[in-house]
Amino acid sequence: MELTKNITLGVYLPGKSSIHNLDPRTKIITATIMIVLLLISRSYAAFALSALFVGFLITLSGVPAGYAMRGLKPMLPVLAIMWVFQLFLFKAPDTTIYFHWWIFEATAAGLHMGNLIILRVLFLFTVTTFLTLTTSVVSLTDGLESLLKPLRAIGIPSQELVMTLVIALRFVLILAEELEKIIKAQMARGVAFDRGNFIQKTRKIFPVFLPLFIGAFKRAEELIVAMDARSYTGGKGRTKMKTLHMGRVDLEAAAAMIVYGGLLIYIIIFTEPMI
Amino acid sequence: MHKLIETNGLTYYYRKGTRDEVKALDSVNMAVYKGEMLSITGQNGSGKSTLARHFNALLKPGQGSILIKGLSTANKDSISEIRKIIGMVFQNPDNQLVSSIVEEDIAFGPENLGLPQAEIIDRVDWALETLNLEDLRREPPHNLSEGQKQQVAIAGVLAMKPECIVLDEPTAHLDPRGRREVMESAIRLNREEGITIVLLTHFMSEVVHCDRMLVMEGGAIKMEGSPEKVFRQSAEIKSAGLDFPVASQVAEGLRREGFKIKPDIVRTEELIDCLCQLKS
Repeated sequence: MELTKNITLGVYLPGKSSIHNLDPRTKIITATIMIVLLLISRSYAAFALSALFVGFLITLSGVPAGYAMRGLKPMLPVLAIMWVFQLFLFKAPDTTIYFHWWIFEATAAGLHMGNLIILRVLFLFTVTTFLTLTTSVVSLTDGLESLLKPLRAIGIPSQELVMTLVIALRFVLILAEELEKIIKAQMARGVAFDRGNFIQKTRKIFPVFLPLFIGAFKRAEELIVAMDARSYTGGKGRTKMKTLHMGRVDLEAAAAMIVYGGLLIYIIIFTEPMI
Repeated sequence: MHKLIETNGLTYYYRKGTRDEVKALDSVNMAVYKGEMLSITGQNGSGKSTLARHFNALLKPGQGSILIKGLSTANKDSISEIRKIIGMVFQNPDNQLVSSIVEEDIAFGPENLGLPQAEIIDRVDWALETLNLEDLRREPPHNLSEGQKQQVAIAGVLAMKPECIVLDEPTAHLDPRGRREVMESAIRLNREEGITIVLLTHFMSEVVHCDRMLVMEGGAIKMEGSPEKVFRQSAEIKSAGLDFPVASQVAEGLRREGFKIKPDIVRTEELIDCLCQLKS
């Protein structure tokens, strides 16, 4: 049982490309803008342009394209089901009907809606995975902390929230290991996780999660004591070992982003939406 | 010698006022002297961890008092100062590392102190160097052995430049090699950096490297003194449920067989010396 093999979201591939060298703030901001633009894209031309841009970024970063896509595999069945649902169930007036059976109608509108949703999910996934593949967790959180700092002024404890995220990320692997241990311990005592129908299988999960949660709370308590002992009193009065600096690459990235964003907005406004 | 920590009638109850009230510390009077290496032993539940947690104000005395360089832990304003003086390392390294990168984790303490950036970098470098962890500085903790993780935890405390480091069973989770490495670090910090070490442990092989030891039982201090002096009282050691160090067991066996072995042997090196002289 390997729980960590197929997870690419949140995995970091170290490298020396100009994408890797960008300031994390640049990457977070551009990724956010790209996600917003993708969510308002409604034409095939717009997605084609985004595909070109993302392809360009991936080539530039030197991340193997296959690796970036591996995490999609477990999602494919879900995507297929979503596509079929849209195809048959999305209703629109004045649309071509491909075929008709009982209450189901496969329509052109449904086809386009299905395509739109799949394209969006694919792009959202690729952009976020690409962000984490080229940015270490630590610089990601550093960037986030720096970007969220102004929120302090309106009373949001941004530094503490980021610290929570830092710790959560550190404990993901520890808890995954612990989960594996618990599952193996129960298998050793005769629990067959792969046998039985859906309900029986689901019921076997509960005795696994209970010890996991108890363990997690225990760890949390110990961690609090350890942080307390190391003088942690919240974000106030804290300094940082590393400060972030923007450089030439960040300017170049901003320029590339403006060209891509401008073109995309032009396409969004002036081309026929697919639906 | 100069007293770094001093307790006076220190008493502590868990779940005070309920039916499950437990008296974990029973009017403890003890001191930690500056520059010494002190070990505290005793069975589980003897109160050693509870006592240690008073040293840096993680627990406040129920009755009695504890002073750290004259500062009382009962005084809220001195807590941050006390935690700068006394650093603490716990049993499970996985539950005390905060960051996903070694050097970032070591920087966590100095960052909390609000030090200037250059100073933080200096201290992290120094801590890494002192504990021979330079090669691991960019590693994520989950790639490290348990012993290395515990070394990182010690480095994280060391970077805060405390006068005293309290190690609460730091080797309990480690394999023999990790245990040896952590012990060597503790001894080096004491001898070379002049940091006062308080070591809570079950292993007599670790106790013998300390200048002084305390044996706790039922929340009170039963024995106190140099390892040589304490292990002389064999009946009390047995009643406290402790072992003897291997060297003193071997020495005792040899003595029973009629060999002339000098008394008070606790360290393996001493035994070896003694055996070598026996041969010549």
